[in-house]
Amino acid sequence: MTRLRSRVAAALHRHPRVQATALLLPAGVWLAVFFAIPLAIMATYAFRPRHILGGVYPGWTTVHVARLVEPLYLAVLGRSVVLSLLATALALLVSYPIALVIVRSTRWRSFLLFLVVLPFWTSFLVRTYATIFLIRDTGLINQVLQAIGVTHQPLRMLYTPGAVLFGLVTGFVPFMVLPIYASLEKLDPALLEAAEVLGAPEWRRFVRVIWPLTLPGVVVGSLLVFVPSLGSFLTSDLLGGAKVELIGNLVQNQFTSARNWPFGSALSFLLLMVVMLGMLAQLRYTAAHAKGKTA
Amino acid sequence: MSRTRREFLAACSRAGLSATTASLLLSCVTRRLSPPANEQPVSAAGPLEHELRIFNWSDYIAADTISRFEAESGVRVTYDTYESNEEMVAKLVAGGDGYDIVAPSGYLVPVLVEGGLLQPLDHAVLTNWPHLLPLFVNAESDRGGRYAMPYQWGTTGIACRRDLIRAVPGGWSVFSDASLRGRMTMLDDGREVLGAMLRWRGHSVNSVDAGQLRHAKRDALQVKPNLRAYLSATVKAQLVSGDVVVAQLWSGDTRQAQLEEARIEYLIPAEGSLLFTDYLAIPRAAPNRRAAHAFLNYVLRPPVAAEIAEQTGYGPTNGPAIALMAHPVAPPDARLLKRLEFQRDLGAATDLWDRLWTEVKAG
Amino acid sequence: MTRRLTAILALIGYAALLLPLLLLVAWSFNASRSGARWDGFTLDWYHRLLHRGDLLVALRTSLVVGVTATVVSTGLGTLAALALGRERSRAMGAIESMLVLPIVTPEVVAGISLLVLFSAAGVHLGLATVIIAHATFCLPFTILVVLARLRGMDRTLEDAALTLGADEITAFRRVTVPLLLPGIVAAALLAFTLSFDDFIVTFFTAGPGTSTLPLVIYGMVRRTVEPTVNALSALLVIGTTLLLVVTQRWTGRHAGEA
Repeated sequence: MTRLRSRVAAALHRHPRVQATALLLPAGVWLAVFFAIPLAIMATYAFRPRHILGGVYPGWTTVHVARLVEPLYLAVLGRSVVLSLLATALALLVSYPIALVIVRSTRWRSFLLFLVVLPFWTSFLVRTYATIFLIRDTGLINQVLQAIGVTHQPLRMLYTPGAVLFGLVTGFVPFMVLPIYASLEKLDPALLEAAEVLGAPEWRRFVRVIWPLTLPGVVVGSLLVFVPSLGSFLTSDLLGGAKVELIGNLVQNQFTSARNWPFGSALSFLLLMVVMLGMLAQLRYTAAHAKGKTA
Repeated sequence: MSRTRREFLAACSRAGLSATTASLLLSCVTRRLSPPANEQPVSAAGPLEHELRIFNWSDYIAADTISRFEAESGVRVTYDTYESNEEMVAKLVAGGDGYDIVAPSGYLVPVLVEGGLLQPLDHAVLTNWPHLLPLFVNAESDRGGRYAMPYQWGTTGIACRRDLIRAVPGGWSVFSDASLRGRMTMLDDGREVLGAMLRWRGHSVNSVDAGQLRHAKRDALQVKPNLRAYLSATVKAQLVSGDVVVAQLWSGDTRQAQLEEARIEYLIPAEGSLLFTDYLAIPRAAPNRRAAHAFLNYVLRPPVAAEIAEQTGYGPTNGPAIALMAHPVAPPDARLLKRLEFQRDLGAATDLWDRLWTEVKAG
Repeated sequence: MTRRLTAILALIGYAALLLPLLLLVAWSFNASRSGARWDGFTLDWYHRLLHRGDLLVALRTSLVVGVTATVVSTGLGTLAALALGRERSRAMGAIESMLVLPIVTPEVVAGISLLVLFSAAGVHLGLATVIIAHATFCLPFTILVVLARLRGMDRTLEDAALTLGADEITAFRRVTVPLLLPGIVAAALLAFTLSFDDFIVTFFTAGPGTSTLPLVIYGMVRRTVEPTVNALSALLVIGTTLLLVVTQRWTGRHAGEA
């Protein structure tokens, strides 16, 4: 039995293409059935007349797709992209140091890692409520600040764009921390030692050695923060007071109160395309980067 | 074009092609014919089934209603909840089966009936039906209650902190009061906000007139800077704490907030507002019809209806129940009714309303 | 200088993450129902929690769904990442982009499209459909995380093992897997977290009686802000922290070299 196994393994090793296909097949089939097909169905929905109850009638129309290019909707999309980029940048600013601290610590490593993930074992909505209690006008922060005399009027923190950013960033930090940590963790300490021995100051070491080597992790993390924040709506509703319409709200609305599934599908595909463009750019960047490395 | 991009696009188009074929095939299959509603009257059909599956708004029933019903009838109840009508409809429309009772709002009932999603009620077994107030039984959503049973009613109005403002608001015009800037909220619901703006100018909350609606949108955009936020049920905590002093809110939620802060007052604006009734109905494909009817009849008992109304804060549609409540909620009298409108489905105009609401939010 | 800056930023990050959590735990002892002010200490909400059968059943459902979906998605994802990580061809890059597409899809669309699929196929909504939905949206995440670990991992170690006479399977088991393990663990952790807290996709794919914790909580919290939920969250937080501390001690005692 073991001989058969080793012979199969050896054969696969000799034919990397076959091996790759075999490894990819389970995930590929799964996603084809449970992602690609449902999505394709939704894509056809974008071209169908809408049913008053939601859902669609048979038939074809381009009226929903045509609506996509109206300035109203493009403005909403634009605003959402900007907000998500900001959230991603801030998340990176906070997550990279956290990942560094975790990697540098030996004894407390798993605990620190766990602390990052822990908030997410409570409900997102409950956490957001706790945040509201923290930052609203009569909330804890303001009460403390006024008690110790730093401020006399409550600081308006809730229902501001800042609160939304705060919610988005804290909501997605582990998505950024984990890939960066995984990247940092496998860094060869010998490289760092060499840089140190050769006299490079700490800052230089970081920019020239650590950062480039962890770039894959950073890119993955950024993607994992950017995309979900683009599609989020609860955060802007709860922390931003629902005063700004983001693309996530728009899509959610179409499938609920507006009962306009075809337009919702069309919007979703617009969103998908925006992100795919970003990923295409990423593909070229990493390809060029890889070329640069071997040069 | 670089090889990378070409291959990427090629791979995508290949995937897209096969997916489109698959989806075309599937969309032919997607048309599910719903089974014809059982024509036999419920009373003649036999003993109760063992199971009942209820899909209701969250927190819209008394704590012990279900357990008492289970104990008495021997039926095991599965109870799930939702946050909006459309979530429930989405499941019904896509054929997500398995529920015996759903709780649509009044404006949705005619639409569901027209879509063939509900089955008619067998009044022969609903012996407690006469307890229902005629006002609700004869409401236009479902006159005579052929497909749905009135459950609870409520209004949209203004909740305010009497102690924190100078004068009691007279009507919707309070939202244009700049002296209260940043301390007021409206509901996060297009129909409620635009509806209020329509009433402010003397129009109907169910208006489909483009001119009236655009005016309402302009009004909404004008008052928006005075608003702290658009909040629905979550504004209660802010009213209690005093962060918010004037809020557009529903009657039941206001009562819940008043339990914690007695200085909150509720009023129906002078210009008028809307009255909504929520119903209980049985989906066409429901497997447990007899148990469903038994549950409906159970809820129609005055003590049960009274307990439900007491705990949810909304009004009972059940006449005798009112006297049994610790804090009775009487139905609106004739004078108040003049100022109230029932909400109606907008049909094709839903699109226009949604677009205008997006413009308000994005503005 | 940079060390200090790093430490400060990390501290701010942790504070932002954990302060709301601490407040949550504190508020679970607050007698005020709406939590608007501190009304006194009470264990009332914890007592009520014991009677909330629906919350406890929902918790169990969430755990079952979470663990199963994690196992499925991490397994499939690791295999896929291995393929993507070894071969550096353009086709692989394209396939990687496609495998990662589900992240890009708004949750509403993912949920509804699955609902449509299941109803078209005549599949009844229930525990299985929720697990399938969760595994589906977790899969691209696990792929990405394991891949990030795999990239730049020292391939020469595997080759060394092979040259030294080990067969492919042994090389895989003894060299590749241990090197990859932190990535796999990170992926599993991420997958479980995503699954445990998911609401929208779950809503559209859950059948009668298969409510997960988020479904029940969202309902409770949006209508009446009842601190029973805070009590549950506090228990979850304290429970998992204790679990980790215990595991830490236990693995510490049996520590080999990581």
